Amino acid sequence: MSHKLFRFMDLPRQPPRTVPVAIRVLGYGEISGDFASTDASTQAGRCIDCGNPYCENACPVHNYIPNWLKLVEEGRLFEAATLMHETNPLPEICGRVCPQDRLCEGACTLEQGDFGAVTIGSIERSITDEAFRQGWRPDMSHVVESGQRVAVVGAGPAGLACADRLRRAGIAADVFDRQREIGGLLTFGIPPFKLDKGVVRTRRDVLEGMGVQFHLGVEIGRDIAFEQLLADYDAVFIGTGAYTFVNGQLPGAELDGVHYALPFLIANVDRLIDEQPVPAALDLNGKHVVVLGGGDTGMDCNRTAIRLGAASVTCVYRRDEMSMPGSRREVGSSRDEGVQFLFNRQPTALIGEDNKVRAVQVVTTELVDDGKGGVQLRNVEGSEKELLADVVIQAFGFRASPPAWCDAYGIERDRSGRILAGHDGRLPFQTSHPKVFAGGDNMRGADLVVRAVYDGREAASSIALLFQQPHFAEDALQIGVV
Amino acid sequence: MAQSVTTTLYDPAFEHDSCGFGLVAQIDGHASAWVVDTAFEALAKLSHRGGVNADGISGDGCGVLIHTPAPWLRALAKEADIPVAERFAAGLVFLDPAGSNATAVLEQYIVEEGLSVAGWRELTVNADACGPMAFSSCPRMHQVFVNVGDGMDDEKFERALFRARRRAETALAEDAQFYVVTLSAHVIGYKAMAAPGRLRDVFDDLRHPALVSDAVVFHQRFSTNTSPQWRLAQPFRLLAHNGEINTIRGNRRWMQAREAILHSPLVDLSDIGPLVRQTGSDSESLDNALEVLLAGGLDMLTAMRVLVPPAYAAREDMDEDLAAFYEYYALHMEPWDGPAGLVMCGSHYAACALDRNGLRPARWALSDDNHLIVASEAGLWDVSASKVVGKGRLGPGQMLAVDFRAGKLLFDADIDAINRKRAPFQQWLREGITYLESDLIDPSLAAEPLPANELHRWQKLYGLSREERETVLKVLAETEAEPTGSMGDDTPVAAMSRQVRPLFDRFREGFAQVTNPPIDPLRELLVMSLMTQIGAEGNIFELSAKNAKQILLNSPICSQRKLRQILALPQYVKGTVQVDLCYPVSEGLEAALRRFCREAEEGVRAGAGMVFITDRYPNKKTLPAHALLAVGAIHAHLTESGLRCQCNLLVETATARDAHQFACLIGFGATAIYPWLAYQSLFELGRDGHIHRGDSNQREIGRSYRRGIRKGLLKILSKMGISTVAGYRGAQLFEIIGLAPEVVALCFPGTPSRVGGAGFAELQNDQRLLAAEAWNEAKPLHAGGLYKFVYGGEYHMYNPDVIDTLQHAVRTGEMADYRRYAQQVDSRPPSALRDLLLPHGIGEPIPLDEVEPVEAILKRFDSAGMSLGALSPEAHEALATAMNRLGGRSNSGEGGEDPARYGTERMSKIKQVASGRFGVTPTYLINAEVLQIKIAQGAKPGEGGQLPGHKVDETIARLRFAKPGIGLISPPPHHDIYSIEDLAQLIHDLKEVNPTALISVKLVSHAGVGTVAAGVVKAGADLITISGHDGGTGASPLTSIKYAGTPWELGMAEVQQTLRRNGLRGRVRLQTDGGLKTGLDVIKAAMLGAESYGFGTGPMVALGCKYLRICHLNNCATGVATQNERLRKDHFIGLPQMVMNYFRFVAEDVRLHMAALGVRSLGELVGRSDLLTQAEGSTAVQRQLDLSPLISNDGLGVDVDSACVMARNPMRDPAALASRISADADEAVTSGQSATFNYAIANTDRAIGARLSGDIARLYGDHGMDATPIILKLDGAAGQSLGAWNAGGVQIELTGEANDGVGKGMTGGRIIVRPPPESPFASQDASILGNTCLYGATGGELFAAGRAGERFGVRNSGALAVIEGAGDHCCEYMTGGVVAVLGACGLNFGAGMTGGFAYVLDLQRTFVDCYNHELVDIVRISPEGMENYMQHLRGLIAQHAEHTGSAWAKHLLGDFRGLLQRFWLVKPKAASLAALADELRRAA
Repeated sequence: MSHKLFRFMDLPRQPPRTVPVAIRVLGYGEISGDFASTDASTQAGRCIDCGNPYCENACPVHNYIPNWLKLVEEGRLFEAATLMHETNPLPEICGRVCPQDRLCEGACTLEQGDFGAVTIGSIERSITDEAFRQGWRPDMSHVVESGQRVAVVGAGPAGLACADRLRRAGIAADVFDRQREIGGLLTFGIPPFKLDKGVVRTRRDVLEGMGVQFHLGVEIGRDIAFEQLLADYDAVFIGTGAYTFVNGQLPGAELDGVHYALPFLIANVDRLIDEQPVPAALDLNGKHVVVLGGGDTGMDCNRTAIRLGAASVTCVYRRDEMSMPGSRREVGSSRDEGVQFLFNRQPTALIGEDNKVRAVQVVTTELVDDGKGGVQLRNVEGSEKELLADVVIQAFGFRASPPAWCDAYGIERDRSGRILAGHDGRLPFQTSHPKVFAGGDNMRGADLVVRAVYDGREAASSIALLFQQPHFAEDALQIGVV
Repeated sequence: MAQSVTTTLYDPAFEHDSCGFGLVAQIDGHASAWVVDTAFEALAKLSHRGGVNADGISGDGCGVLIHTPAPWLRALAKEADIPVAERFAAGLVFLDPAGSNATAVLEQYIVEEGLSVAGWRELTVNADACGPMAFSSCPRMHQVFVNVGDGMDDEKFERALFRARRRAETALAEDAQFYVVTLSAHVIGYKAMAAPGRLRDVFDDLRHPALVSDAVVFHQRFSTNTSPQWRLAQPFRLLAHNGEINTIRGNRRWMQAREAILHSPLVDLSDIGPLVRQTGSDSESLDNALEVLLAGGLDMLTAMRVLVPPAYAAREDMDEDLAAFYEYYALHMEPWDGPAGLVMCGSHYAACALDRNGLRPARWALSDDNHLIVASEAGLWDVSASKVVGKGRLGPGQMLAVDFRAGKLLFDADIDAINRKRAPFQQWLREGITYLESDLIDPSLAAEPLPANELHRWQKLYGLSREERETVLKVLAETEAEPTGSMGDDTPVAAMSRQVRPLFDRFREGFAQVTNPPIDPLRELLVMSLMTQIGAEGNIFELSAKNAKQILLNSPICSQRKLRQILALPQYVKGTVQVDLCYPVSEGLEAALRRFCREAEEGVRAGAGMVFITDRYPNKKTLPAHALLAVGAIHAHLTESGLRCQCNLLVETATARDAHQFACLIGFGATAIYPWLAYQSLFELGRDGHIHRGDSNQREIGRSYRRGIRKGLLKILSKMGISTVAGYRGAQLFEIIGLAPEVVALCFPGTPSRVGGAGFAELQNDQRLLAAEAWNEAKPLHAGGLYKFVYGGEYHMYNPDVIDTLQHAVRTGEMADYRRYAQQVDSRPPSALRDLLLPHGIGEPIPLDEVEPVEAILKRFDSAGMSLGALSPEAHEALATAMNRLGGRSNSGEGGEDPARYGTERMSKIKQVASGRFGVTPTYLINAEVLQIKIAQGAKPGEGGQLPGHKVDETIARLRFAKPGIGLISPPPHHDIYSIEDLAQLIHDLKEVNPTALISVKLVSHAGVGTVAAGVVKAGADLITISGHDGGTGASPLTSIKYAGTPWELGMAEVQQTLRRNGLRGRVRLQTDGGLKTGLDVIKAAMLGAESYGFGTGPMVALGCKYLRICHLNNCATGVATQNERLRKDHFIGLPQMVMNYFRFVAEDVRLHMAALGVRSLGELVGRSDLLTQAEGSTAVQRQLDLSPLISNDGLGVDVDSACVMARNPMRDPAALASRISADADEAVTSGQSATFNYAIANTDRAIGARLSGDIARLYGDHGMDATPIILKLDGAAGQSLGAWNAGGVQIELTGEANDGVGKGMTGGRIIVRPPPESPFASQDASILGNTCLYGATGGELFAAGRAGERFGVRNSGALAVIEGAGDHCCEYMTGGVVAVLGACGLNFGAGMTGGFAYVLDLQRTFVDCYNHELVDIVRISPEGMENYMQHLRGLIAQHAEHTGSAWAKHLLGDFRGLLQRFWLVKPKAASLAALADELRRAA
């Protein structure tokens, strides 16, 4: 009886070691270590190659996970990297920031069967890193330049994914971003202890090596007119993200010491990039911090606050722990690093003194029958309580923030402001302007990085189709090719 | 006869028949009334081998062929005042009762051939002797008398008669009633649709006092249809056939192709119409072929051996001259292959022959006054034992003939001796044949690898996905075998797919079920051959050296080296016409194919002997036409043009990669194939280190791949029951699903294709899409998704979302959650054929509470057969418990069942009887409400299975009567079912042991399953299950999962229509299974005709199965399909409640649909296909599908039952003797006392002992009466299945002889068979038992003083037996027990034998060549160190002598020490001598 067949039972799930809490909170380095030399391949060998690859199905970009796990198991590093890139232009990034426990690893048969999921995310990350280290780069040798050019607005995950695919199809890709570095939220929103900025820089090198041209510090509509893009390029992809934060409408939001999550996070990254000391506004030394919101951004704020020296960090979430929308892993890391959680609490007001925040008023919540067969959340009367806070960070989420010029060019949006794309009679991700495509958070609203990657990838396919004969584009939409 | 256009799925072309037959002859040529009387009496004793029609009286037909009838005919002529000449012929002619000019036309041709008609007389048919159905279709019958022409000798006279008859038949082709039974001076046939006992009553002629003869051939038919057709009764003009010609479609086409090259100086064959009939009965076509060969100048001994040769190729012991005789003729005639027992009678010979597999019984006996009888059964004549000087049986490939001129009986060896001396065959072959050696190293011929980007372009152009590369190609090269998979196929059939699917996916492989058996290509490899010849076929009538000029390849799959060697041969350097399949897009696919046909024809007419078809050279401006389209079209065109036999089709293609694809190409006419893309892809895989197979170079990879493909090809051939690739080539054994009539007509004429599909435009469009991908270099290879789910690839009906929602629903038990699941399934993109069928209501919707309750619907639900072995005990029992609590039935599957479960809610109410017969004991059989005979399973119809040793744990081993850790093999066929009358026999056997059980027969959907089902109903089944192709857990080769069987919708509809057409529907309950998931599936299945529904995967998923498709690896992570203790204990989460939730949901879902349809009980919907309409499809091909044949009720009448109306299918055989025994023994059994009874027995008394065993098992279990046996002393010739399912406490002592199936399923007790003491022959020289005795026996003892037939002890797992000789395949698949053979054995002893052991006496010193070396060792028994064995053997012989009184046994004992050295001990390689000896000691 082959040992291999039962490895998933005999060998436990073993992700790479993480940096000990005491050390990691002192800095901003990634907390997850690399696999020891052969661990990735042994761990990959736990995959039982299900007839139904639940991991692949749950993965928003539908990575060929069992297939590359096999290659990893066989030690075929470059082939694995190539196959990872076939579905995912940014595997090293998704390997780091995806909530795998809700996606591939959560769906893994071994996870469901109580064996512990295959460490898919860690493998994806470490294999791509290692391939880069050893010099692997996407093979562009067979790409035939088509002569067409596309402008990509926004160098976030959607834009990068789109640019990657355009280049592979022989289409020139010029990427514009108002920031001075590529990555969008990857660089400025996600804290470096989750995603080291060097990773994004490597990716930039890779993309530039593929022929992607970046135009940074350039804002479309300010520095270059959108009309100019339409004139200069055969198509435009808009991937400008979701930066409009959800306002909790809490009384007292104007008080000093109250932050919104994204500016807070960006400010910290900005000064880290420039290797500047902590500015006063971010100095949390000895302060009691309350973070409102239970999503991944809330966790980023929690953990950033810890690193900024907070005396305590309390994370308030209105439902119970099971209902938290973010990754379990991030909740766990937050806890490990000393964050307190308060569940079933709804913040109702921010209370200040001297124009400075002093406390958060919260009320306990409970679930009640909504009379329609479901349940709803209700505040328990008389359960109001004050939570002392020197600093409050609101992390209630984000809304799409498409550029203002969209309207002027007939790029339709829905009522919540999201760009409409791929609707009736359109190619996937094509907006109501036939030359303009969109994807990522400005089309979806705030969502996972990996979904933005998917959008960028697919939008590029649609653009490539558009450039071919129209009738072929229609055929290909109707019938797949085995 | 033009095939009638049918609007339903029923097609008479699918009809089968089978039967009993015989021949009585007086060797010295003395004609007598005794010969005639004996023939008729023998015929009457075969009635149980025939079928009876819906009216209960009309038989399926029987007849006689009477040799040298002249004196009697002269008397008949005289009485009719017809003046016949000294030499004359006569013949019986069927005519249209409404009148016709047929007699005049026949007369005209008789005269044209230089003969004269002496006169005609009309025969009267006695109506009451043949039953109302038969009589209503009775033709008018005239007898014609023809006088010999001037100066004609006998031979010329016979040939003139032949020509006259054939020409008249051609001229009268439109007259469906005109039929000449025989027209000859030497034989005359009479046949009728009558029960065999009544044939003589039908015709007054047959009771005429002048009727005497020296040889009579007789035949009783069992047909799968019931519409009476007098002409189909046998014998035909020369022969009668028991069995089926599997290769018939190929044989017919090749005979057609051969018309252009067959010339005989003796007879003009050019104007006699088709040489063989292209439609109708396979036996009749074979009869036609034999006639032509005889007319052309071959004699019967040669002709028969040429048409139905033995397995000469693998027989190392065969004489070289004889082998050369067969090889020479094989160059000019492919074998007519199939289970065939043939009796025949011509001018000079009467003969009997068996095909190479010997699957039909033929027993002979010879009296001291030179009377011979050969027949399907022993015991048919009434000759006193003291006068019978010899008894025997024909073995596989053997022939027995009476030479009337010499007055001699010719045995097999005598015939061989005549044949091999006919010409210097060996010398001709030595000079003429070129063998292409693959080992000649010629560096210039080595493969040139393509650059990677070019290779990837072609891979995309020809639709090779990464999945296929890794799952199929790589595995073939690594393991030299096909990849294995689990869980069946849940993707749409190609016609429904939204993806570009390989053309081959539209071809479903044929497989043998019921009417013919599949072969085991591994264990019975000796009958198989892939030998392929290249060269023009010669004229078979011209015996010459030049006809031996051929090139032989050991298989039709070429390496590049071989391909180039062929093309470099002098005759082909200039003599090759090349067809380039890449055509300009503007030309269009259809025009291109027509051009290819023209080019091939012109080339061959100009002298090319090779048509080289290639798709190797595509460019951007062209599209490749699919090689299969081209091969099919060119082959058909060249056949039509009479050119096919002059050339070969050599195909260089990218499209052929797996075994099925090669089989398609060969099945539609390709001679040999060079799969260039497969090799190139393998080369790349190998170069990049992806192929793990130890150290190997590139050449080895190609060779390994070819070996894998060859095995796969053999499997595909064998599951159709075909032995040689020559018989498969051009045989078109496929059903097409998803091609438009225009494509079928041009490329695959005559292949069933019943729902239409893609036309040339769609096929071309598919190729255009692939080409677009291919020429886009940036596109990677497609990921695939046909075998496993891949996002964005092919749709899977059990995709992750479906599994997740279903599992969620059964755990919460909430109907709302079920609805989410059902919504996913019911609104999927149309994937199954039924997705295009929409149900309509009978009336207005009704309130839900008026619909019958869930409980009423649950009774109609069964779980599909899944064995313990496939499932874990926990899952198996949870399933049984759930079904029992619900009031449905669970199915044990084929692995036996723990007796501890009997009588509890964990017992399976359906007990399966499958080919492995694991654990099938009388107790197992009586603890069942339904006994299901599994003929085939959806995942791999026509194949056997193998349970690897590591899955055989203590429990499995105990239940299967095997040893832990030793692998177990299920044979492809049931070795007691080789044809339809055998199935009737097994049903009879099962009804005998458990009279209250319903008998179910499980079939798999395929074109023609309707007629098979009709036969099954006539054989006595109460229930029939029609499985779709998609079902199946367990391990199965991927090509079987993907390509065999068809959707159940087609099978169910065809069965429903066929049974209704034949008036049989009311006698049987129909069930379907295959991917049923929701209430809507049940509603549609009901409307198509099913009244009961089987679910396999659904309940498994409910128990936690996540469709991992790793069942075959024993590491199922959900603990459902594994025997691993930890997985079962810690990770299996299934509960009966989950299964119950699932079925209740489905039943409730059914109710909701019923309410909406306005139906109160599900029964109202059964068979209401009129309530289904076809929805518009969602793809171009779907819109071209025509499903109207599935839902049509055309021609079925309104008064015919459309659902089952009988509680059970009434038994035909009164089983008088069994009843008597049961009654006589009742008191003794009840009181548990021993008793002895005496009876006379005849061959019509079948399964004697089975009912008694059932009676005993019911009270005492399998062994409770061991110590107080009921002793049955029988005298005579026992019918089939003597002592079947024999329980401990039944002891049968038969004095006489027995037929097939003695002791099948025996579990205890004893059977003794001895010849009558007055017999003059030596027992060790005579046959005393038939074939397949002790099949599936689990215990008990058998002593027989005489020789047994083929496959003695097949799948024996515990019985002890002593016999005095055996046929081929003795101890096949044996896993336990002991067999001592005190005489010679046939070939292939111990094939697949993994347990038990045997002793064989080898006086002739031939055993070393006879046993199968794969799994067993043979050891000499020396007096030193092997005392245990020596004593054991001596003990066995002594017991044998004591029980049977065998003189031979006494003789052996007398010289035991001296003879000891002549005995072999045969043991499985895996078993050690010491361990066996240990067991002996313990047993002693």
